[in-house]
Amino acid sequence: MRILIIEDETPLREQVVAQLREQGYAVDAAADGRTGLYLGQEYPLDAAIVDLGLPDMPGIEVIRRWRTAGRPFPILILTARGRWQDKVEGLEAGADDYLVKPFHTEELLARLRALIRRTGGWTQSVLACGPIALDTGSQQVTLAGQLVELTAYEYKLLEYLMLRAGMVVSKTELTEHLYQEDEDRDSNVLEVLVGRLRRKLDPDRTLNPIETLRGRGYRIRLERATT
Amino acid sequence: MVSLNRRLLVAASLVLAAFLGLTGLTLDRAFRDSAVEAVQDRLQVQVYMLLGAVNMDAFNRLTLPQALPEARFSTPDSGLYADVMDGQGTLVWHSASLLGRALPFFPAIRSPGDTQFAALESADATPLFMLAFTVSWEITPSQYRLYTFRVAETQTDFSKQIWSFRRSLWGWLAAASAVLLAVQGLILRWSLKPLRRVAAEVTDIEAGQRTELGSDYPEELQPLTANLNALIRQGRSHLERYRNALGDLAHSLKTPLAVLRGALDRHPPPEELRQTLAEQVERMNRTVDYQLQRAAAAGRIALSAPLPVAPIAHKILDSLAKVYAERMLDLSCEVGPATMFYGDEGDLLEILGNLADNACKWGRRRVAVRAYLTQHGGRAELVVEVEDDGPGIPAEQAPLLLNRGQRADPTVAGHGIGLAVVRDLVEEVYYGRLDISQGRLGGALMRARLRFQAGG
Repeated sequence: MRILIIEDETPLREQVVAQLREQGYAVDAAADGRTGLYLGQEYPLDAAIVDLGLPDMPGIEVIRRWRTAGRPFPILILTARGRWQDKVEGLEAGADDYLVKPFHTEELLARLRALIRRTGGWTQSVLACGPIALDTGSQQVTLAGQLVELTAYEYKLLEYLMLRAGMVVSKTELTEHLYQEDEDRDSNVLEVLVGRLRRKLDPDRTLNPIETLRGRGYRIRLERATT
Repeated sequence: MVSLNRRLLVAASLVLAAFLGLTGLTLDRAFRDSAVEAVQDRLQVQVYMLLGAVNMDAFNRLTLPQALPEARFSTPDSGLYADVMDGQGTLVWHSASLLGRALPFFPAIRSPGDTQFAALESADATPLFMLAFTVSWEITPSQYRLYTFRVAETQTDFSKQIWSFRRSLWGWLAAASAVLLAVQGLILRWSLKPLRRVAAEVTDIEAGQRTELGSDYPEELQPLTANLNALIRQGRSHLERYRNALGDLAHSLKTPLAVLRGALDRHPPPEELRQTLAEQVERMNRTVDYQLQRAAAAGRIALSAPLPVAPIAHKILDSLAKVYAERMLDLSCEVGPATMFYGDEGDLLEILGNLADNACKWGRRRVAVRAYLTQHGGRAELVVEVEDDGPGIPAEQAPLLLNRGQRADPTVAGHGIGLAVVRDLVEEVYYGRLDISQGRLGGALMRARLRFQAGG
């Protein structure tokens, strides 16, 4: 998942960036509105965290411009003043949720996960496709009720695919959304990861949860379970 | 901007100039006309005089005596001339004053009894008034002859008269203008005096020598001064609220700070220190939130138009629908288009936002927002009701909940402070009440009654 954070207070920004990276997110950060606006317009983001009180361009304005430009990713606003006027203004401008400073990191992460899930059309925190269930809260995956041990990268890959279950996800999209700028983007690595996931989720090769569409990408073809 | 004084002065001066100018022109024209008429009458009299002096000689020729009653006819270049022509246009007599000159040709001989009058120029370009009168003279009882008598006078006297009239006319008009302008200036000074007084009093207020504008203003200015006073009072009450909030804030931060300092001094085990730290940080955060939101309340704003409640309620519900998208809540809003709020939009957003947010947190599927206007002791009262289908709040817990910062369920973030802020806004800023009861949907029903001061 690729997240952008626009926050002018350096300690807070660095803290959030570190925590998001720890959670396996690819993170872009901007200290001012104009840089943030540019990154949001150019990068394939999965979500953005925007502080409303930015020095050069107000957060509201950044959000408004993104939405005018048709950028679809969910936006979480951070506000220091808990006034409803600010919250309503932010949400009207196109944000999807708000968080009042100071906040607990868990709260931020939970809101972010919920927003990303919602964009994929999931309403529950557990994404279930056939026998596979992925709990975005505890970051655990079960296969027919049995816990499956996954590495951080494998989890990230599966989460991304499951959020878009039923849709084709290209390799480029995967690398763009899963990796930091400075990381190795060899597509062979991706193929190896998908192979490992398949072995772990489909040990007896009957389920075929991730199908490869030649030249187009991957797709989870299992039905989304609705509760 | 052009000053009021100058505007009025310029406008009034233009009107005055136009009026006096037209008056002057009219009087001038009227005087001239009557002066010309007087000349004509005078010349007519001269003609009759000449007619009276006419004699017929033995050959039935018309003659006039050497000495006429009007001496100017006999004095050369006197400015008064006369001649007589017969029916064929032949000059039969001319006055001695003409002395070799001739009157300009005028007019053609007409029928007897005709008078003609005109302003003409003589051969040497002297402007003249000339009157011609044609008579039919009985020579014998059966023989008549036509004669035309012409009398002319130079315009010198006439012009002198006109110019002297003009001089005095325009002189008086100018004097009148000067007096009127001066009076007008005085009237302006007198009329604008209250405005200067407002400016002076505002300056005094800025300097801190006064608290309000005085009351004995002309009635046209009273709405202005009353509204200015309302603004000043509002500013002062805001300041007061900020000051109180700051005082409360400092005060309530001292306790957690003291706890923290105490904890540091005691050198407790890291785990205990950590917990104390977390508790006190949370406490400080809530204190800051609460006091700041309280201070931000604007209250009844002087000069503000009533706000329709419905769009504000929809704003809040749209926002909450977004935030609680996953919960698929059924948010309903029953607010009539004529339901008005007489205060600051931010305050109403705060009240509705906190109440509806709470209802969304506690409700299972349904949240309803209602607002309507009633009367309370002759004043408008806006009732805002928010209810949900959650577990509800037991009657004995309700007063606890309304106390500042009290949380009914510490696991749901933000509960408590929001309600306390709403209560303060409702009770302290809008002189109303907030109460909690059981709603029709089965959960809690929060009812805020907002009362407005007279006139709003």
